[in-house]
Amino acid sequence: MNAVINLASLSRSPRKSIAVISVALAGALALTAMPAQGASTPGVSDTEIVLGMQLPQTGPASPGYNKVDDAMRAYFDYVNSKGGVYGRKITLVAKDDTYKAGLTVTSASALINKDKVFAMVGSIGTQTHISVIKDINRRGIPDLFVNSGYSGFYTDPKKYPTTFGALGTYVAEAKILGKYIKENLATKNVGILYQTDDFGRNTVEGLTTAGVTFTAKKTAATFIAGTQAGGLDAQMQQLKDNNVDVVIIGAVASAFATAVGSANKIGYKPQYIVISVGSDATTFQTILGSKGIAPAVSAGLLAGTISASHAPSPGEADDEFVKAFKKINDDFNKGPSKTWDNNVLQGMNIGYVTTAALMGAGKDLTREGIIKYIENNPLKLSSAALAPLGYSATTHEAFTGFWIGKYDATTVLKPIDGTRKVWTTDSAKGPVTELKYTRPAIAADALPKVG
Amino acid sequence: MRAVSNLKRKSIARTSLIRTLIFAALVLLVGAQFDAYNQAQLAVVLILFIGVLSITLLTGISGQLSLGQGALMAVGGYSTALLITNYTLSLWVAIPLSVISSAIAGLLLGVAAARLRGPYLAGTTLVIALAIPTIANRFMSVFKGDEGLQVDVGYPPQWFSSLFGEPTYEQWQLYVALPFAGVALFFASNILLSRTGRMWRSIRDNESAASLAGVNFSRQKIYVFVISSTFAGLSGALYGLRGLVGPSVYPVSLSLLLLTAAVLGGIRSITGAFIGTVIVVFLPDWIELILGNFGLSEQVSNFLPALISSLLLILTVVINPAGVAGARLHKHK
Amino acid sequence: MNTFLAALSLGTSRGAIFALVALGLVIVWRGAGIVNFAQMGQAMFSTYIASTLIANGYSYWVAFLAALLSGAALGALLDIFIMRPLSNKKQSELLSSESMRAAVPVIASLGILGALQALAGIIWAAEERGFPAPAKEEGFTVAGNVLPFTSFDVFVVSIVTLTLIVTTLFFTKTGIGLAMRATALNQEVAKLSGIRTNRTRTISWAISGAASSLAGLLITPTSNLSPNTLDLVLIVGFTAAVVGGLDSPVGAVLGGFILGMVISFVTFYDTPEDVFLAILAVLLAVLIIRPRGILGSKDARRV
Repeated sequence: MNAVINLASLSRSPRKSIAVISVALAGALALTAMPAQGASTPGVSDTEIVLGMQLPQTGPASPGYNKVDDAMRAYFDYVNSKGGVYGRKITLVAKDDTYKAGLTVTSASALINKDKVFAMVGSIGTQTHISVIKDINRRGIPDLFVNSGYSGFYTDPKKYPTTFGALGTYVAEAKILGKYIKENLATKNVGILYQTDDFGRNTVEGLTTAGVTFTAKKTAATFIAGTQAGGLDAQMQQLKDNNVDVVIIGAVASAFATAVGSANKIGYKPQYIVISVGSDATTFQTILGSKGIAPAVSAGLLAGTISASHAPSPGEADDEFVKAFKKINDDFNKGPSKTWDNNVLQGMNIGYVTTAALMGAGKDLTREGIIKYIENNPLKLSSAALAPLGYSATTHEAFTGFWIGKYDATTVLKPIDGTRKVWTTDSAKGPVTELKYTRPAIAADALPKVG
Repeated sequence: MRAVSNLKRKSIARTSLIRTLIFAALVLLVGAQFDAYNQAQLAVVLILFIGVLSITLLTGISGQLSLGQGALMAVGGYSTALLITNYTLSLWVAIPLSVISSAIAGLLLGVAAARLRGPYLAGTTLVIALAIPTIANRFMSVFKGDEGLQVDVGYPPQWFSSLFGEPTYEQWQLYVALPFAGVALFFASNILLSRTGRMWRSIRDNESAASLAGVNFSRQKIYVFVISSTFAGLSGALYGLRGLVGPSVYPVSLSLLLLTAAVLGGIRSITGAFIGTVIVVFLPDWIELILGNFGLSEQVSNFLPALISSLLLILTVVINPAGVAGARLHKHK
Repeated sequence: MNTFLAALSLGTSRGAIFALVALGLVIVWRGAGIVNFAQMGQAMFSTYIASTLIANGYSYWVAFLAALLSGAALGALLDIFIMRPLSNKKQSELLSSESMRAAVPVIASLGILGALQALAGIIWAAEERGFPAPAKEEGFTVAGNVLPFTSFDVFVVSIVTLTLIVTTLFFTKTGIGLAMRATALNQEVAKLSGIRTNRTRTISWAISGAASSLAGLLITPTSNLSPNTLDLVLIVGFTAAVVGGLDSPVGAVLGGFILGMVISFVTFYDTPEDVFLAILAVLLAVLIIRPRGILGSKDARRV
């Protein structure tokens, strides 16, 4: 009896409640539609320019890369010590996404809405950047000097008008290395160890375009990016068993070091060719060093390895840019680790180019303004790089030139034929040609000059 | 008897509906006060709330500990993304459709897991959660490997903008997440109040007694997995629509995040699920607010939120396993 | 033939490590009745301590000992401050259900794992470190072929065998060992028979902690050390323990070698991408066909 009565009385009040709540809902919905934002440029004030950056500072993907933001900030602090850009100090806000795309979206939202950055600079991580690039472009936020060689970001400026690269693409570099292999190592049995993400696959693609092909499971060994810590014994054994004389490495630096360690274990000493992103002497020696292989020995293991680069080798102590950047790094880098290596050099260089772009865009700094300036004036944005930026209305690829080098016995990458020749190509099927480029000298105060 | 149970079912539905409407109204009212960043965060809360509900149902109500909800989220995410990308369906069609594949995944998982208990179930689901990225990489032509599938919530339809004005992107994210969260809340509330809920609780509390009472708990256990998986899949679909469906979007830490939220807030109630989700989503922001003035090194500040939430988890489990909402265990047990 | 030998030797050396991890899991299962998911977090932490000592100039063996001791200490502390209050807690209504009683310690161990990883990050940052091996990492030359089996691998296998013998003797011959088994089977009865269950449980955690730090020390030379590197090892260790039988030390070692071989052969003959699927397949196969594991006893599934 009680149950029935309770149920019946329940039937009247909910109906009224539903009506009340629905009205409230409609009202709330109307309330939440806010007017459009104001027209002032976010991130720019009379005294400050705020820049944002996303990268894996912690987690399995972070080693090495987590130095880039500190290096960039070091350069910006130097610029600020000299008065900034048109009196504005540059502030870099870097957020850690631990290489998880879900967190990249959240931290991008924080940078855009909380820190109100003027532009994104130097973001690291291809998959993670894919998750935010569309939104960044849609809001018209400059997405400058992205640290990824994934050509998909740069080859269609209609799709991503605000995104510009900071690295040559993996495809272009692989094509250039492929040409070298075809011309100089045609008699050797060539194999490859690559990680099965876009980095590794683009490397294979570029090599194939250049005419260097592989047979899966025989001359091509793979591993899942991020798992190299578990050892690459199986892969190196496979390559050894198939009599591969030349091993191309399409993987990151820690994987290269691990591979050499695994190969060394079984007495396998092929000729290595490493894509620039994976060839960093300092990382190589550190990882092998703590396995009990002394620096003198690991330097010997590295010697003779062929690689490519768009910039001077961090070990080229006489290069004027390297000298200047090293000094700034020593004086201004406040990061937990500031050991000079490729990552620090790249970070400093991006800082340099960003400053040049900010200067060139003028005192009246707007988002559209800087994008237009960069797209139309790539040659004015010279830097430590030994090839110019390749920006135009049809492509936002960065350095389209690479020189090929060989590591000497002191872990310095030296030009492979004595004199340095820079090669250039596109990320499609175009040919590889030589590039004649004279890098403008660095100013005495190590600051970029406008015009 | 039939008349009474029909009335009961209708009143359960009505109660759930009221709860859902109040919930929606509150979210909108609060959301209106938020700035853009917090509106986006609120949308994340709604999205993960659905995922946490999947744990409330699976673990809180029926007592089965699964560490693989992230994998089920991935199933929902990939299904939706594939439907949107390959068949140009709108998300309003793709998401409900992808619920089907989540249910199937739940069915498979349930069949495999029904015989497992405790740590065996936990460990097995953990292995499954780890296997997901490799599947995406294995069948690259379909799942696009590391690149993943780029999807987002798109733009509001014309009629919406004319009626309510053009919303910002963050507001639109909120408006997309809300109806789905509401639906999830409605069904969860229904289940908890109904006879099904009671059956599941009996499985959790005392399996031998339950089987004596005639509960076919093998079948019910599978059923729980199916239902719980649809919640997880829905959450995963919405989570992917924030920008990308890819292997790094559904890591193992996501499964653990949902579990942490469920335990902190109160693993047995819907309110607990919501409270817990709010905590885990906003915790990094709160920490930054409090400690931002201390000038902590990057090294410390990057790991602090994880440390604090792990410690909170341990403390909750040791001191007050019922979580924040569990203190007042009333209607639902 | 070469590939086969290489797969065999890699499987053995990896298998030895997984055996050690599985052994640690079995010890806690037998001594405390729970699966400790934080185990490899403890291993990672102790290995970091060892790594710091080595970086400061101490010898490998000093660091080795320090790692074992800190592993044991950490295990004991975790039991005293977290697990003991947990198991003594009867008040909460939540814990009156059997499945929640089983789930709660697992959740606690996950919390411990997260805390240890975050703490390691705060103390040592996310830098990847290498770690030396006490023996040469060069393969033996057999019949003109250089095998990927090094003197370090021999070291690993011998240590694992030694540990196995010691633990089996411990559990079957010593008073404490028997007390641990009794406590795991039924804490109430054990208490009534005069066994100091709290102390026995803490000892199990300490021993397991030492065993897992051993595993961390042995696996790190061939990989690198960072807060997350040992996650995969835990998964394989768990599977190995299940395959072998969660309450059998010998089973754990057997399971470890089986998993090591499976992974090695899948990597060599199939493709590395399939390793996780292979692990999952083995796990599911065992749970469906022989849930108690190869050498597990009938009541191994007591949950």
